[in-house]
Formats: sequence, C-alpha cells, structure tokens
Amino acid sequence: MAKQYDVLFRLLLLGDSGVGKTCLLCRFTDNEFHPSHISTIGVDFKMKTLEIDGIKVRIQIWDTAGQERYQTITKQYYRRAQGIFLVYDITSERSFQHIMKWASDVDEYAPDNIQRILIGNKSDEEEKRQVATGQGNKLAKDYGMDFFETSASTNYNITESFTRLAEQVLAANKKDLDLLRASVTDELNLAALEEEEGITDGAAASQKGCWC
Amino acid sequence: ASSFHEFARSTNDAWDINDEDDEDLLAPIHPSSLPSTLHSVHQVPPLPLQQPSDTTREPDTGPADRLAPPTAEEELRKHSWSGIPREVRPITWRLLSGYLPANMERRDLVLKRKRDEYFGFIEQYYHSRTDETYKDTYRQIHIDIPRTNPLIPLFQQPTVQEVFERILFIWAIRHPASGYVQGINDLVTPFFVVFLSEFVVEDVENFDVASLPLDTQRNIEADSFWCMTKLLDGIQDNYTFAQPGIQNNVKALEELVSRIDEDIHNYFKRYEVEYLQFAFRWMNNLLMRELPLRCTIRLWDTYQAEQEGFSHFHLYVCAAFLIEWRKEILSMVDFQGLLMLLQNLPTIHWGNEEVGLLLAEAYRLKYMFADAPNHYRR
Repeated sequence: MAKQYDVLFRLLLLGDSGVGKTCLLCRFTDNEFHPSHISTIGVDFKMKTLEIDGIKVRIQIWDTAGQERYQTITKQYYRRAQGIFLVYDITSERSFQHIMKWASDVDEYAPDNIQRILIGNKSDEEEKRQVATGQGNKLAKDYGMDFFETSASTNYNITESFTRLAEQVLAANKKDLDLLRASVTDELNLAALEEEEGITDGAAASQKGCWC
Repeated sequence: ASSFHEFARSTNDAWDINDEDDEDLLAPIHPSSLPSTLHSVHQVPPLPLQQPSDTTREPDTGPADRLAPPTAEEELRKHSWSGIPREVRPITWRLLSGYLPANMERRDLVLKRKRDEYFGFIEQYYHSRTDETYKDTYRQIHIDIPRTNPLIPLFQQPTVQEVFERILFIWAIRHPASGYVQGINDLVTPFFVVFLSEFVVEDVENFDVASLPLDTQRNIEADSFWCMTKLLDGIQDNYTFAQPGIQNNVKALEELVSRIDEDIHNYFKRYEVEYLQFAFRWMNNLLMRELPLRCTIRLWDTYQAEQEGFSHFHLYVCAAFLIEWRKEILSMVDFQGLLMLLQNLPTIHWGNEEVGLLLAEAYRLKYMFADAPNHYRR
C-alpha cells in the first residue's frame, strides 16, 4: 500500500462561539461555506493533507465548541495538539477580548512547544468591524504569534493561515523532521523498516510520524 | 444482524400494535375515529379511563385524580412504545411528558393555567435579556437560533426564531444551575414540530407559522416550553458544570460496548479512538444530530413511553446505534477514517423501520442488563 503521508499532527481551533471556527475549517478542507452552519457540540474532527517542502503532512484538525460549558471536555484535547488557532471575529470586540483568556488556557493545558496563530475572521464584513487590524497585529506581537485576518465567506487567507501554522509546527519539530527527511530520501528504506516492524496499515504509520 | 430480526420477531408483544387486546385500547385514538381537525385537545379521549383499575393508586393525587387509575397511563405507555400515530401524537406527548393530567376534567383547566403561567414568565422576565446578568445567556441563544436545523425552512422563519428565543431564555434563567447550553436548542424542535403538526395538514417543514391565529401560536409555544422543561428535568446533570451526566453516560456506553461487542471495543482501542470523541454529542443532543428529525420524533415516542427514557434507555439506544455500524466500523483502517465515519454516520435515508429495529435492539440490551447487571462482565 502506498503511504499517504509522511507526518501527521493535530491542530486545534479555539475561540468564542460564533466566530466562525467551523466555517474556516469547512472552507479549508472542503472549500465550502454555509453562512448558518449548525453549532458545534463538543469537538468535531476533520483532516487534510498538505505538501510542505516535499513532505506530505497530514493534519487532523479538531474543531471545538466555543461555549464555556464545554470547556471541561474541550480542554482534554489541548494536551495532544501541536498547533492552535486562536480565532476571534473582527465584528465582535468581545470575542477579541476573550483571546487573552483562550491564550492563558492554552498556556495552562497545552504542551510547552505548542505553536499558536491568531486569526481575525469575517474580514469581509468591513462595515461591521469592531476590531481594527492594528489591534490584532499588536496582540499577536505581544504574544509572539503570527496574525492573519481571514474570511471563510470569500476564501481570503484560509489556505495561507492553515499552511503557516503547519509550517510552524514542522519547524518546531525540526529534529524529528530531519530524521524524517533522511528517510524520505530513501523511501525503500522506510518501507523496509515498516515491514520489519510489522507495520502495514495507515494507523501504525501515523504513530510513527506523530509527535505526541 | 440476523439475531436482531429474530429478536424483533420473538418479542412481538413489546411493540405489536395489531395484538387483539390492543385493538380496543387503540380504538379511541385510531386516526379514522378522529375529527379532521384537533383544535382542542380535550376532544380526543386517548386514555382508556373506563378500564377496570387495580387497587393501587398514585400517591399525591387529589380526589379528582381518582377517576384515572394508574393503569391508564401504563396502557398508554405500552401502546406508545412502538410508535404513536401522527394524529394523536400531540396529545399523547402532552400526557406522557406529565404535562397534561390524565384526568380529562382537569385538562382544560391545567392547560389554561400552565399557558398563562408561561406567558406570565415572558411578561415578567423576557425584557431582562438585555440586563447585565442575562445578556451573555441571551447572546448565546441568539447566536444559536439561526443555527438550529438550518436546512429546514420552518426554523428560518422570524416568527419561529422568536418563539425559540423566548422558550430558551425563560428556561435558562429559571434553571441557573445549568443555564442555556448549546444543544438544548435542538431539544425544543421535536416538541414544536409535533404540536405544530396538529394544525398543519401537509408539509410541516415548510409551513408558515405566522399564518396561524395568534392564540394557536401561543399555545404551541407554551406547550413546547413545558414539555421541554419536563424532559430537561430528567437530564439536567447533562448540562451542569463539567457535564457529569454526559461524562457518566459516555463511560457507561464504553463499559456496555466492551461487554456486548468486544471486537468494536478492541478496534477502538487499537486505533486510539475514544468514546468521548463521538459519543459526547450523542449524549448532549440525544442523537438528534445523528438522525433526521422525523426519526428523532419517532424515537421520542418510545423515550416518553419508557420510564427514564431520556436519562437511561437512551444509553442502550446509543449502544445499539453504535453496533448498527459494526461492519462499517470494522472496515476502517485508520483513526481518521473511524472518526470521520463515527461523526458523520449515514442515516439520511432512515425512517420508522430503522428506528424501530434500533429500539428493538436497545430493548434487548436493556432487558439483558437490567435482569443481569453482571451479565457479560469481563
């Protein structure tokens, strides 16, 4: 069986209810947009494979419910993530204020080398804007994060932001990456290794490439 | 699958409404005997009040209730278990939920009092949705309403969305231990659709609610509120802090599946699939997100006919539902395949037959474990 990907990691979408987390994800994975998407309950799952620097990266994306009551459940997913999107809605000052709370939750519950990126979604709704681009930039800088304004509706900066976070996660795990690169140059070796270890299916292969 | 059907055949008594004894009891509520419109619930006599009663009586009943022997309710539950005819579903749901009293003489009075009480709440509290204390609650409800069954046109009507906002807001502020939790919005929809169906001959999902007389609209709203309240009373720890009810149910599901289908259980272990990853939503939304609305309504006939249907029997339904996809589950070859399957089970074509079989299997599981809690214990 041809191997479908080289590495696998988990990204998590966090942010207040209604900021458009599910819509960002649907745009990214399926290139679809539904303005009234059904609310997420608990945690939903999607995946996509990207190619970065010749490496096939499969990303599992966990889309969380934004309501506070669900946080006991959603926090259980933090510790196994390698990258986190902190999402607010540029038409909601409140959702922007809450980014600080989401960021401190991440500090508390996620692994130390977790990669984060700040997203200001709904950038197409300029007439309803409550959060200036400069505010987003500043907050991102304070936290040492990259920042994108996005629109799931118009497909603005979606692939860019997902790819950026994926690149950051790759870079942060460079040691593993170098090992992987070495093996990627010698596919036969890798295949032989897998066979030797009795690894024949995707799940076992994913364990091999998964940094968690 | 064969044992499933065998079981369905061998336990006909549980749901066969063609049983001879059942004919008499069903007769008063048979569709053909009904008036063409049910504009007043008291016209429909669904309870076999004339049945000889046994000597036991419900506690806490006033003198007026003595006309309604407990057997009447039991009979109604028994007959409702296998699905309630559309024409009598609204009144049967009102009765089974405990909202409408069995005693027919009291019904009009109780209905009027409860409906007035609900609109009293609205008058007294609804304006407070913009207050500092409640504005977060209202905001969350307001965000979720357009996202409730977004593909069904009925729920996109402003009139209907306002009804839902009022029902959910009033419920939330009267239940501060849980407050409004996403998913509770879904739980209003079966009641609303069923009570609305009393006034709609054809397609409920496209019916213009604003075309109904205002009184009728208000009655549907108040009845939906009270029946939803009764339902939630039984499962409130699903929605309190840390959602202990759901966490316990997910654990119980895992335990149950480990006993009844080791293959699936071990398969999940092997691929590191956790029950919480798919079953949280099954518990939080009572499978409503996994089934078409028509199936949920049929499911709730049985849940309301069961004692503790929503809080206890649902667990067995979830187990049966999982096992239903056994073949598909065991054909998946990795974690992502399993999760994608489990979070998007293909039930779009499901109807009464599938739900009937699901319930039969759940009944079998419950029967097995209620009689022998240690049965199959590993």
